[in-house]
Formats: sequence, structure tokens, C-alpha cells
Amino acid sequence: MRGFEPPQEFRELLQSRFGVVEFPSDAPPLVDRSRHLELARVLKEEHGYKIFVFVVASHWLENPKGPDPEHYELAYALRTPGEGTRLAAWRVRVENGQPIQSLAHLFAGADWHEREQFDLVGVVFEGHPDLRRIMMPDDWEGHPLRKDYAIETACPPWR
Amino acid sequence: MQAALAFRPADPYLDIDSYDPEADLMVLNLGPQHPSTHGVFRIKLYLDGEVIVKAVPHAGYLHRGVEKLCEKLAYTQITPIVDKNDYVSPMMNEQAINMGFEALLGVEVPRRARYLRTIVAEMQRIASHLLWLGTFALDLGGALGGGATVFMYCFRERESILDLFEELTGCRFHYNTHTIGGNRHDIPAGWPPRVRAALDTILKRTFEYQAAMTEHRIYLDRTQGVGVIDAELAMSLGITGPILRAAGVAHDLRRHAPYHAYDEIEVQVQTETAADCLARSLVRIREIRESIRIVSELVDNVPEGPICGHRPIKIVSQERVKSGQAYACLESPRGELGTYVIGGGANKESSPYRLKIRPPSLHALSCLPYVLPGHTVSDAIAILGSVDPIMGEVDR
Repeated sequence: MRGFEPPQEFRELLQSRFGVVEFPSDAPPLVDRSRHLELARVLKEEHGYKIFVFVVASHWLENPKGPDPEHYELAYALRTPGEGTRLAAWRVRVENGQPIQSLAHLFAGADWHEREQFDLVGVVFEGHPDLRRIMMPDDWEGHPLRKDYAIETACPPWR
Repeated sequence: MQAALAFRPADPYLDIDSYDPEADLMVLNLGPQHPSTHGVFRIKLYLDGEVIVKAVPHAGYLHRGVEKLCEKLAYTQITPIVDKNDYVSPMMNEQAINMGFEALLGVEVPRRARYLRTIVAEMQRIASHLLWLGTFALDLGGALGGGATVFMYCFRERESILDLFEELTGCRFHYNTHTIGGNRHDIPAGWPPRVRAALDTILKRTFEYQAAMTEHRIYLDRTQGVGVIDAELAMSLGITGPILRAAGVAHDLRRHAPYHAYDEIEVQVQTETAADCLARSLVRIREIRESIRIVSELVDNVPEGPICGHRPIKIVSQERVKSGQAYACLESPRGELGTYVIGGGANKESSPYRLKIRPPSLHALSCLPYVLPGHTVSDAIAILGSVDPIMGEVDR
């Protein structure tokens, strides 16, 4: 059990309106970058996925063995409240330097979560009302959870 | 109360320059070292007279880079690190992280270990709620029988639970008792009767504490109608747990998405409708009683069997997974505590590639810019205490 089995209605929605054909058994399904805001809106307004759960960004360096360039992967999750609660999770792939649309106007909770992912991973969220660092000091250089930010890297002395 | 209504709905992104050019605004930095901020946390308050116009929270003072650190550690080494996240309920952190790893690695937990996890989780919930009640009473100053009275009583009860945990695990607080596939410490001889005795005492006293809240004029004045977080706002912010239940939404993962042994017992979900500080207090105190009932029911009926269904740890890096992702969550005393993990990281795939802890307190705190405007500074202290934030897990 991986915790990502898409609920029936979510699977049907992805298949019929968002052209998703692949449902990997060990990860949430991938949704196109340009459609993911719409997906979140449809889930919230038509299917009752009202509870915001998380936004997680992960950084992937260029694969030396394959043609995979440097990119980010964002995972999103929403949940229905109450009896028979269901989790709808999906992933979005973002190429290096591309922005991704913010969910902050749809889900107030996305505000801090996206700020955290921006702060730690360096993903830029388009349309975020207040995108600034949340965990690290304002004058920090770099984004610590990137894979090219090694744990041994000497950091500039801070105050 | 009247002033608060004038600010509904509050705009968290209010441009302070456009507020009122005539107003003589004052900026007050609450924290980061103020005792009522429950850790190191700062809120910048823009005040018009005594009324808050805008609140800008600043988190991150306790950021220790736990997620980055975990990318360098083997799966079995991470449990004692996450103990320190939510330092008021370490058992929950251990369980949440190990549930995530079990989902990733495909490990089953034996029935006895699931019972044991349920019991310690509920005892931890009691201890956590007691600590909340004590510190909340302290926040309200003299509201509960003068200063630190309730604080001391609550710590006395919490101490009896920590003593029981010490018997079970050898540690009073940062237990490191959960591991992938089960637990490391079995129930010691004579433990269940002592658990029941301690919980019976606490159960009797919860009625006294509830009376100290609901029959106390000052307590009611400071909590009733203060800090209303309605259901829509709470869900949009991702707030779960007692805050959401105090807004009338019966949402509890223990009942609605059962894990551990919760599918074998009935959990009564405690709700209130007023959504204010008092409603949150009442939900928590009733949850203490519900937890006591669950533990009393389970502690004598723990099934026989192994407490860990996985191979014993010989070398720390023995758990390896090439790729894949998993998410697991549980109902911590503060709401949905989740672990999102991507496998296939450093040290020959024995570390997570990316680990994300979904802390309920982060969401609870993010309500402040929406709720504080229109309240006075003294209400801000009550509201901040009532959402039960733990900075260790907010900042990680």
C-alpha cells in the first residue's frame, strides 16, 4: 500500500477531462503543467475535495545516463472531509526555469506550503500573492533542498 | 467582538499603506522570545489603538533542516531525528514516519504491534492535550484560578503518563520505540493495571478541569466568541484535528481512514459548532476522555504475537528501495500528520531521495492573518494558544 490509490471519481475525472492514461502503482499520476490549476478547481468545486493537504517539490538533476534534463517534480494532494475521506494526489513535472501556477487563491493553505517549497527547493510559483522565504533567513543564498546544494557545502556566515 | 465583526472577512494581504492614512498605527513585534508564542515565533502586529489591523507571522526560527538531514540518513536512523519535531507528542512523529516507510518498503505490521501503537498513540494524545490545557491556562494568566494552578495540575497528570512510557521504552520523552515493521519494546509485566490506574485518576480530574473552564467567568469571557475559525476557512487552509472538529466538521482519520488498530474499535468523533477558543478547549478535553476510554478498552486485550514483523536491524543501511513514492498519515493531537517520501536516495538507495513531513501545526498557524484582524492584543494570545502550535514541527 502506497497511500496513492486514486479514488474512483478522481481516476475517471483524470481519464475523461485531463487525458491522463498512465496510473503508476507506486506514485501519483502525472498531470500536465498547464492543466493542474483547473484540476484543483474542479476537484474542489465539483467533487468536494475541500481540505488542502500538501505541496511537495523535489529537485532532479540531469540524468548522466539518459536524456532526462534537470527538472522539478511537484506533488499535490487534496482530501474530502468526513465520512469515507479520500485523498486525491497528483504530480506535475516542471522543467528547470519554468514557473508553475500557484494554488494559493484556491486554497489558502497553499500559501505557506508554496513559500516553503520556493524557499527550500527554489520552485517559482506564478500568481502567488506573497512569495518570499519562510524557513531560511531573508538574505540566505541558495535553496537547501536542491540536490546540487550538498549538505557539506560551506554556508556564508550568518550574523 | 464588535470590532472583530467589522474585519470579516479579513484580508491577509492587506496593503497597510492603504488602510487609513489618518490612523496612527503602531507596530508591535510579538515574540520571538515571548513565552506565549509557545516556542520561537514572531508575529508582527499592526495596531490601530488596541485593535489588530493586520498580522504578519514569521516562522522559521526553529528551522533545523530535518528534511535535508534525513536525505543523508538510512531509513532506520530517521526515527530518533523526527522525535524532536513535534516535541509534545514524539510517539506520533515516530509512527507517522515509520508508516510512511512501511508503505514505501511494503512492510506489514503485526497485530500486536498495531495494538501497541494504538495504545501509546492515545496515551500520547492525552499527554499532549494535557500539556496544551496547562499552557493555555498559563497564556490566559489569572483566568484559571490564578496563574500557574492549572498548569501545575496538568503537568502532574502528564507526568504519570511519562512514567508509564519510561517503563515501556526506557525513555521519558524521545522514545525511539517504533521501527520499520513494528515496535522495539514489548509491554512490561504489570504495565496494563498501572495504565488503567493512572488513566482512571486522570479521567476523574478531567471533569474538574472542564468545570474550571466552563464555570469560570474570566475563562468564558476570554474564549467565548474569540478567534472563530469557520469550517470553510479551516479546510481551505488545510487545518484538521481539533480545530476543524470545533468548527462542526466531524473529520477524524482514526475513524474515517483507519490505520493501526482503529478499524477494530469505535472512535467517537468529538465535535463542537461554535468554532471559537472555547469550542476548541471543549473538543480537546472530551478527546482526552475518549482516548482514556480507547486505552482502557485495548490495554487488557492486546493480542499475542510478535511486536515487529520485519527482519531485525543488522546494519543500518539494510532497507533499500530503488524508486517509488509513498504517503501515509495519522491523526496526531493537532491534526493530519503525514509523511511523503520518495525512495532511491543517497548511500546506495538506503536513504529517502526526498522526505516531506506534513505538519498539522503549520496549517494551524497560517490561520493567524485571517483570524487576528479585529481582535485585541490580549485576544491574540488566547487565539495563538488555542490553535496549539508546536514550533518544532512548524519549522522542522
